[in-house]
Amino acid sequence: MRIFLFFIHREIQLSLKYGTDSLGTILFFILIASLFPLALGPEPQLLRQIAPGILWVCVLLAALLPIERLFNHEYEDGSLEQLLLLGLPPYGVAFAKIVGHWLTTGMPLLIASVPLALMFNFPYHAIPLFLFSLMIGTGCLSLLGGMATCIALGARRSAFLLPLLTFPLLTPIIIFGAMITDAQLHALNYMPHLQLLGACFALALPLCPFVAGAGLKLAVE
Amino acid sequence: MTNTSSSPPSQSSFNIHRFANPRTFLRFASKIQSWVTISAIIFLVIGVIWGLCFSPADWQQGDSVRIMYIHVPMAILASGGYFALAACALCSLIWKHPLADLAAGEIGPIGAVITALCLITGSLWGKPMWGTWWVWDARLTSVLVLFFLYLGHITLLHAFDNQQKGYKAAAILALVGVFDLPIIKFSVNWWHTLHQPSTFSIIHAPAMSLSMIWPLIFCFMGFALGFIALVCMQLRAAILERQVRHFLLNE
Amino acid sequence: MKRKTKRLWIILGSMASFAIAIVLILSAFSSNLVYFKAPSQLINHPTVKGTTIRLGGMVLANSLHYSHKDQTPTAQFQVTDGQAAIEVHYTGILPDLFREGQSVIAIGTLDKNNIFTASEVLAKHDETYMPKEVADALRKSGKWDPKYGPPPDAATWDHMTQPK
Repeated sequence: MRIFLFFIHREIQLSLKYGTDSLGTILFFILIASLFPLALGPEPQLLRQIAPGILWVCVLLAALLPIERLFNHEYEDGSLEQLLLLGLPPYGVAFAKIVGHWLTTGMPLLIASVPLALMFNFPYHAIPLFLFSLMIGTGCLSLLGGMATCIALGARRSAFLLPLLTFPLLTPIIIFGAMITDAQLHALNYMPHLQLLGACFALALPLCPFVAGAGLKLAVE
Repeated sequence: MTNTSSSPPSQSSFNIHRFANPRTFLRFASKIQSWVTISAIIFLVIGVIWGLCFSPADWQQGDSVRIMYIHVPMAILASGGYFALAACALCSLIWKHPLADLAAGEIGPIGAVITALCLITGSLWGKPMWGTWWVWDARLTSVLVLFFLYLGHITLLHAFDNQQKGYKAAAILALVGVFDLPIIKFSVNWWHTLHQPSTFSIIHAPAMSLSMIWPLIFCFMGFALGFIALVCMQLRAAILERQVRHFLLNE
Repeated sequence: MKRKTKRLWIILGSMASFAIAIVLILSAFSSNLVYFKAPSQLINHPTVKGTTIRLGGMVLANSLHYSHKDQTPTAQFQVTDGQAAIEVHYTGILPDLFREGQSVIAIGTLDKNNIFTASEVLAKHDETYMPKEVADALRKSGKWDPKYGPPPDAATWDHMTQPK
């Protein structure tokens, strides 16, 4: 447990040390999200209708931007093997890294999405549910993205490979996530979608670290 | 399959006695190959001609219903192929069987082509019937996801310098992707969207006249046997290629 | 904590997580997931005017007629779910499968007079495949008229179409 916390602590310290990278993610999110009103025109009605989808897609892109860095540096300079020798099983290492990724990108993205939601003319009453669904959703993104990185660790064409691997896995998350907010804005029953998103998270939580650990073991073999 | 990327050191670690089993497979496969191929061609010729020329037109879809004789077998084989791929992946992870690795590598591209054909024929069918080439309904989306899973599997398999690592990573990915199969199967029942529910089920009699079921069965048998024949042929070629490469590099 | 107890806890935690997932999936599918609204729902619980709605239902028998507005034909028909019906107006080419008695999904907006202006009409066809001759025979024998609902069970076609 102590080693697990140490890992998370290390991850946060790393992201503070490379502050520009972490800030870059947030900036990227805000930039692409604010490009949409410029391209689609500023009609509040239209914006409100497409806002859930746009924000979900932007969060997905922004959260997956730094996911490649999750293990690649450590893999390339060989320190990954040292980390695996610290006494934590591979899935523990993977899980700690994933938690670290969520704390350093998922959470800041959540905070940054509040002003963006307001800029997209979200009604105030919809924001808490939106944030809650986004919290579960970014958790899933970290888990699935981390898993895909671990599987593809050491592959040659990683930059092109990762989107191809993560996209199919992420489709349920983005569909259910965007539908929750959409359903709420259209006064439909949003509970089933929320339950499905929760189910995705509950499935990913034990499975992804396990698979990611197998990927890590394979990479250092 | 091209393994030009595999570097010599990884090949030298390749052990010949692991191929004892593939040899028996090779003997077995060359025996059944011609039978499977010929029966696939017979089934296909009968099924396609029967379906496209002699089976009755549907009362509301007219002649467009004939796309079904291609689309439905493709759809079943797309899921079935992925199931076979996942089974191979499981074998290769648990028993580390080299044949399973090679088989997974051969099923992938064929499955991807079949899934693409399923999507294309479905889209051609959808335009006159539903009034749209494509809708983002649950069945169509989940099959598109299946297509990307196939593509991801193929890419990952060839993305490693060490081919053995590529096989393992791709096997892990193939197992992760199994989540999509139940979604494809049940999507039409869970989400009542545009795609019609399954005509065939275990509990009810099929909602189709017998004059349409028979050509469909023939087409399906033809395509399924053709799939097996193709995989078998590719697999034999891959094993032979492996052996030739091994002899050239080590002796 | 020993290594084995730790592993036990991890397995128990995973099991609990899977159980939660299954409960969530089952409860999600037991409550109905709606992607389109039925006419009666739309009339009883009106949404904000002007929002895009997906309306789903069956085309009411004998309700389809065309009106001409500046050369382009506008199809007017009623979509029903058995309890209520909504008038739908659509300008454009209807899909081949469109007919009275067919399930359709119309995407568009509802105006003040409860008239639904569709920007797109999709025909949803069912899982039944029936040869033309059988359908004609059924209609002739008066056993089934496609205007009023889905076709009968496939097993009954043979003896239903036998001329008497």
